Formats: sequence, structure tokens, C-alpha cells
Amino acid sequence: MTPLQEYLALSMALFFIGTWGVVARRNIILVVMCIELMLNAINIALVAFSNYSPIGGGRGEVFVFFVFALAAAEAAIGLAIAIAMYRLKEKLSVDDLDEMKG
Amino acid sequence: MGDFNQFFFILLSVVILVSAACVVLFKNLIYSALSMIGSFLGVAGIYILLHAELVAAAQVLIYVGAISVLVIFAIMLTHHRTGDLSLYFHKQAWIALPVCAVAGITLMVIMGSAAYNAVGEAQNPTDENIASLLFNEYAFPFELVSLALLVAMIGAVILAKKEKS
Repeated sequence: MTPLQEYLALSMALFFIGTWGVVARRNIILVVMCIELMLNAINIALVAFSNYSPIGGGRGEVFVFFVFALAAAEAAIGLAIAIAMYRLKEKLSVDDLDEMKG
Repeated sequence: MGDFNQFFFILLSVVILVSAACVVLFKNLIYSALSMIGSFLGVAGIYILLHAELVAAAQVLIYVGAISVLVIFAIMLTHHRTGDLSLYFHKQAWIALPVCAVAGITLMVIMGSAAYNAVGEAQNPTDENIASLLFNEYAFPFELVSLALLVAMIGAVILAKKEKS
């Protein structure tokens, strides 16, 4: 394996650990945390591609900064939803958010 | 990649993946948040191995500094029930692990064996290079992201505000 492929393999492993957490756990705060892990995995792939590409010139790293900003926005909104949900229902399980099922 | 880099890559990979698995497996959310911080620090180390020092600094500032504190605040502001395992994991969680493992290993093999048009040694785009890209070519997305952050901030305040009774 070349170094680039090793970094991509690490990125995929981290991404699917995050997916596992999102799918398997009930707590909404933990789901937000696992989404952050998945975004980190994507950032590893972006930086690896950026720095091993013969033509990139740092564009991948610029995208990583955009991902940082949007991850911060997503965490703020997700955790605010968790706190609002806790205030309404006194529960934090994703199974309790089922008002819209038919 | 020299022996030195190889050693640190394997060390950091183990730290990242083990602490990420601990995030999913710990019952106590505070422990999960702390191992998430460990995982973020490992990712910052990976950025340094990739010669992306600016990204590593931003990772420590934003993820380890800001987002972790936000998560820990949310955990502290809510009260958590404790009990048997069904409170923490879905009933279908035992299917989720093999499905994610198969999907993850498949993609790892595919991405680890594909031929890329890559240079042998990691390049280092200079900070000036990144800054000029950010403020010239990507100036509009940059402003758009600042707008998104503003909207997120207002939205978070409105969502988390106590309603008047």
C-alpha cells in the first residue's frame, strides 16, 4: 500500500465506526458525536488527497476549513435540538422523535 | 514514508480507531465525550504527518476546543437515565455492527487498492497558498459559510431558549 492508500483506509475505518454509532445508539447527543467522527474521517481523506495530488495546490485543505465551519454549525444546531427535546419530553432517545410517522 | 512516519501513523491509527470505538461502546456519555476528544487529537496528529500543520492547529482549536466543550455542555444540561443495555443500544444494533464492518472493510479494500495519480511524498501547500485560495478563488463560499454560521448561531439560541410559561 502506498501512503495515500493507507490514509484513505484509515479514513474509511473511522467513517464506518461513526456510522455504526449513528445506527446502533439511541442517545441523540451520542448520534451528534458520531456524526462529528464521520466528518473527521472525511477531513482525513480530503487532506490526504490534497497533499498527495500532483495538481491540487492546497484546494483540499481549503475545503477542510469549510467542513470545520459547517461541522461547528451542525454541532450547535444538533445539541440545541437535543436540549429543546429534553425540555419538551424529558427523554433523549431518538425513538421518541416519532410524531411525524403516519 | 519513512520508518519514523510509519511508526507514528500506526500508533495514531490505533489511538483514533480505539477511541472512536470507545465513543460508541461506553455507556456513560461523559466517557464517550472524553474518548471523542482523544480521537480528535489523534486526527490532529495525522494532519501533522500529512504536513498540514495549519489544519492540525485548526483541528485542535475547533474540535478539541470548541465542539467538545459544546458536547460536554449539552451532556451536563441534560439528565440521563441509566439501566440495562436496551436503553443505550437499539434492538437492531447487533445487525448494525456486521453491516457497517462489511461495508467499511469493502471500502477500505477498494480505496486501499485503487491506483491513484499520486506523488510519492506528501506535499506541503504553504499557508500563504491556502490563504490566497481562501480569499480569492473561494471568497464567495467563504462568505456563505460565515452566513451559515450566523444562521446556526441564531437558530441554536432560538431552539435552546426557555419558553415563557
